[in-house]
Amino acid sequence: MDIEELKNEFTGHVFDKIDLKVEEESLVGYARACGETQPRYIDPEHPDFQAVPNYPTRIHGTRGLPKNFPIDMHRCFDAGKSVTVHAPIRSGDQIQGRSEIADIYEKTGRSGGMLFIVHRMNFYNQDDVHLATVDWRLVQREFD
Amino acid sequence: MILDLHTHSIASDDGRAKVENYCQWIRRKELPLDGFVLTEHRQFDDASDYRSLEDRFGLLILKASEVETEYGHVLVYGVNDDLRAAFDFARIDNPLAMVLEQAKRCGAVAVPCHPGRPKVGLCAHWEIKGPVEGVHTVETLNGGSRDGENEQALEYAEKFGWKRIGGSDSHIVSHIGRFATRFEDALTNIDDLVDALRAGRFDAVRPE
Repeated sequence: MDIEELKNEFTGHVFDKIDLKVEEESLVGYARACGETQPRYIDPEHPDFQAVPNYPTRIHGTRGLPKNFPIDMHRCFDAGKSVTVHAPIRSGDQIQGRSEIADIYEKTGRSGGMLFIVHRMNFYNQDDVHLATVDWRLVQREFD
Repeated sequence: MILDLHTHSIASDDGRAKVENYCQWIRRKELPLDGFVLTEHRQFDDASDYRSLEDRFGLLILKASEVETEYGHVLVYGVNDDLRAAFDFARIDNPLAMVLEQAKRCGAVAVPCHPGRPKVGLCAHWEIKGPVEGVHTVETLNGGSRDGENEQALEYAEKFGWKRIGGSDSHIVSHIGRFATRFEDALTNIDDLVDALRAGRFDAVRPE
């Protein structure tokens, strides 16, 4: 499998979109599940009530990988997510998540070779304000 | 002078430490380190400028790389444009002999790291594929090693007369300084470090 070819074919373009409305109870429930105690995350009456920074990690699109991607999603494992917050997510926001493959790279570790696929989801609100970027790393090990 | 020669920041895909937080940790814990070298995975971080942190914390912060070869991972000190043009730092199958040769040609120093580690260390590959010309220094104290791995690295270093460096291989803040390298000279920049590594005026240490 040629990594450069894979990158050229699959990175840098949106392959999936998902739309959803942010509900107040979802924000509070998720914040509480994370152990959050700050009023601005758990009290809808707070003047700066908003989503906890990692809230968008709970949102998945309709596809993990692009159509025709030569790796089976079910043979990958989750190597974690990182979130960059650009603007607060508020209750009532109509948000859209747009998925793309941001990077594909190889590395070697104690257990052997690994292929990393970075699934990036950018989130925008109803005014097209960029709210967050979530980089979700998927790994396929060489012996899989 | 004591430097941790093997650290990773958030510039590496698996690094979770910000460089400023390394500095804060070293000072808060009063670690006996005079500085550290950032050895980001499969890249050279050209963009970052840590001079203000050096001034603020009184630490030497240098930049290098950790590249991957068919004999395991290799730290490269003194990365310059010539060396970056010589091979692809992002590849995981660079030939070790080529990396050693190109580093030497470009005025850099290449040091196999965590040699005792399975899959990504020099020793296991050396046993299977045979020796490689040009190794002169290895990392015998690596902070991420499991039982027996540093011992095997030391065994090889003694057997072949290689010089020894130490580094934490830290990916999180609290791991910096687990191991380091003591230099006989005062170093102020990457050229000094390369000169000292070439001259062999150093040894691996556990900072106390």
